[in-house]
Amino acid sequence: MTDTYLVLHGLAIKKYADAAAVAAALGLAEDEVRAVLDDAVAKGRAARAGEAYSLTPVARVALDGAYSRLFAAQRADEAFAAAHERFEAINRELKQLMTAWQTIEIDGESILNDHTDKDYDDRLIDRLGALHERAEAILEQLAAGLQRLTIYAEKLEAALEKAEDGAIEWVSGAKIESYHTVWFELHEDLLRILGRTRQE
Amino acid sequence: MGAIGRWVLSLDGAALPDRVLVGGKAWGIATMRHAGLPVPPAFVVTTEACRAYLAQGALPDGLLDELYAGIAILEAETGRRFGAAEKPLLLSIRSGAAVSMPGMLDTVLNLGIDEEIEAALAVESGDAAFARDTRRRFHEMYARIVLKAGIERLQPEGSVEEWRAAVAEAGATGCVPETPAEQLLGAVRAVFDSWNGRRARRYRRHHGLPDDAGTAVTVQAMVFGNLGERSGTGVLFTRNPLTGAAEPYGEYLARAQGEDVVSGRRTPQGLDALASPLPEAHAALIEAARRLEALNRDVQDVEFSVQEGTLYLLQTRTAARAPAAAVRIAVDLVNEGTISTDEALARVGADQVRMLLMPRLSEGAAESAPLLVEGEGASPGVGIGTVVLDADTAEARGGAGDDVVLVRPTTSPDDVHGMVAARAVVTETGGATSHAAVVSRSLGVPCVVGCGAGVGAALAGREVTVDGKAGRVFDGALPVSAPAETDDPHLCRIAGWARAAAPLAVYRADETAPGDALDLDRLPGGEDPEKLPELLQGVSGAGGGALASDAGVAVAVAAGLDFIVVRHALPALLAACAAARAEAAE
Repeated sequence: MTDTYLVLHGLAIKKYADAAAVAAALGLAEDEVRAVLDDAVAKGRAARAGEAYSLTPVARVALDGAYSRLFAAQRADEAFAAAHERFEAINRELKQLMTAWQTIEIDGESILNDHTDKDYDDRLIDRLGALHERAEAILEQLAAGLQRLTIYAEKLEAALEKAEDGAIEWVSGAKIESYHTVWFELHEDLLRILGRTRQE
Repeated sequence: MGAIGRWVLSLDGAALPDRVLVGGKAWGIATMRHAGLPVPPAFVVTTEACRAYLAQGALPDGLLDELYAGIAILEAETGRRFGAAEKPLLLSIRSGAAVSMPGMLDTVLNLGIDEEIEAALAVESGDAAFARDTRRRFHEMYARIVLKAGIERLQPEGSVEEWRAAVAEAGATGCVPETPAEQLLGAVRAVFDSWNGRRARRYRRHHGLPDDAGTAVTVQAMVFGNLGERSGTGVLFTRNPLTGAAEPYGEYLARAQGEDVVSGRRTPQGLDALASPLPEAHAALIEAARRLEALNRDVQDVEFSVQEGTLYLLQTRTAARAPAAAVRIAVDLVNEGTISTDEALARVGADQVRMLLMPRLSEGAAESAPLLVEGEGASPGVGIGTVVLDADTAEARGGAGDDVVLVRPTTSPDDVHGMVAARAVVTETGGATSHAAVVSRSLGVPCVVGCGAGVGAALAGREVTVDGKAGRVFDGALPVSAPAETDDPHLCRIAGWARAAAPLAVYRADETAPGDALDLDRLPGGEDPEKLPELLQGVSGAGGGALASDAGVAVAVAAGLDFIVVRHALPALLAACAAARAEAAE
């Protein structure tokens, strides 16, 4: 049986998403997820606009209370905690890299990267690839503690490959499942799993 | 160029090597040396050696001897010795395929250092901390690049044993070798192996590049910018990268290594700091800058070091430049007869012109306005609206046509839908790399971060003006003005060339178009470039909607429209020229 809270957690990570997106994020069947979401709408835990669902405020509070039960195994797992520490370390690098992707230092002044300098962009995408290879090892450790997290490695790789092939909006585009979007969802997921809060 | 043997070529500049055999980086060094420019001595292990290595799974016979024959040439030119405890020679190792691709090994610097050599460098430079730092940076780069360890930085105060432990813990695939000879072989093998890395293989498959071409290894002597007062390091731009002014512009730090300039630990001085103590090195640098710009036909960003009075060029690349500089440089290079008007059009991006035409606070408006809060400017632009404190409200009111400014303690993926709908974003905590900063820049929304706790409560419901570049939030709606493309003489020149070259005519909304334009703002789907091909069928002119984006203009060009009507003409003209170039290239 599908845990209602797990589906609501998936919705909390995806925001305003249709059943297919929530199902993909959780590695569950779309029909099951849609049934749970529709049931949540009927009970006032979720709202629906068109195909997109979102959590109601009361469901967000209930969800926060459910996390310690939902993720008890991961919270007790030392290997998982150690992998999360390593993720936080590489997360700092990722953030610096994203900032370098978007802004170029010219003579001490920070200027928006207009992506006219292909060499600069290529170097940064190459750095992102190197970072991704190191992140993969960490993601494997995390997935050992929670299997559904493998989906992030797949999505990150897909975004990286599109960027490497020249579709550079897949580095940090905010409205698509770009590398930064997926990475940030993963970070959000981990923080909720472990009951931590974000620094910035 | 001289053959040292079967696998190794000296990059002495005597003749230009085959680019396919030596790779792009070695070819660049050979070109500079061929032009008589002062580049540290180097040799290259060819792509043929890589192919042999990959075929037999081991370094080919004779390669080792040839490597040391190459090093002997570097030793003779520098008067230093690889692996020696007096005047040691350190090396940089770079990969270089004929076509650059992701996943190839990055540069390893300072290779060839151990305990004894660190001590020798300390004595020679009179700076034990420098010698230590050189060794630390080698460890760091070798661990990260060759051994794929997940380390950012090794502790400068740590012992070598502590570094080794940190590297092992960070998931390294081996140990940093002890001796210079092992370090060299380890790095060469790692370059060759990177050819078959997963990312490189996938890239070649996707782009139809041959899998058996192989990569070369460039080995170059390190020069030291901190061997006494007659040494130093700097960066030179052949023109000013902010304004585009046609004079060399740069920074110099006496008695410093490259990283000191970049890291900001010490404050660099202007190039005069080189000219007064070392006028000959300065004159050589200015002359080299002139020739590099002529050779590459574009503004160059040149890294250089001076070692005991002798100038060395370490790297040159096409300089990144601010939008205003891009425009001025393109016009100046046409005036000087260096590039054609078509090349000038290819060098100015539509987005760069859009940035120049972005609305900004009117002259003097900020001086008299009440400043409410200040933070770090994270995404430029000016946004005016009423402060709301949560993303759902921002989305609801923004969707209803209100101008809102979203103020949050921090932002997370929960807030993105509100950020999309806001005129500006402000956060209480966070810096230039925070979620709010990254997402706002991606959306093109002005953003100020790190304004301090409690700012949201203090500003709720007020109308404010956010200056995302200066990092300031003002009370009320300040006057803004948008620069006009017709006011700037450089923009006018470029617009003239673009009009002549563009495959369609572009009119501003305040100009009279030659016929009726299809108004995309009034058509369902008119704002979506993917729907445009259908909407533009059989139409001779159109305006609004998706034509505000480069992708939309490209569709209009492909559909063979006679004219389009847009808010700013020049960005659309440049996008149309770019689309025509892309079509011609196919």
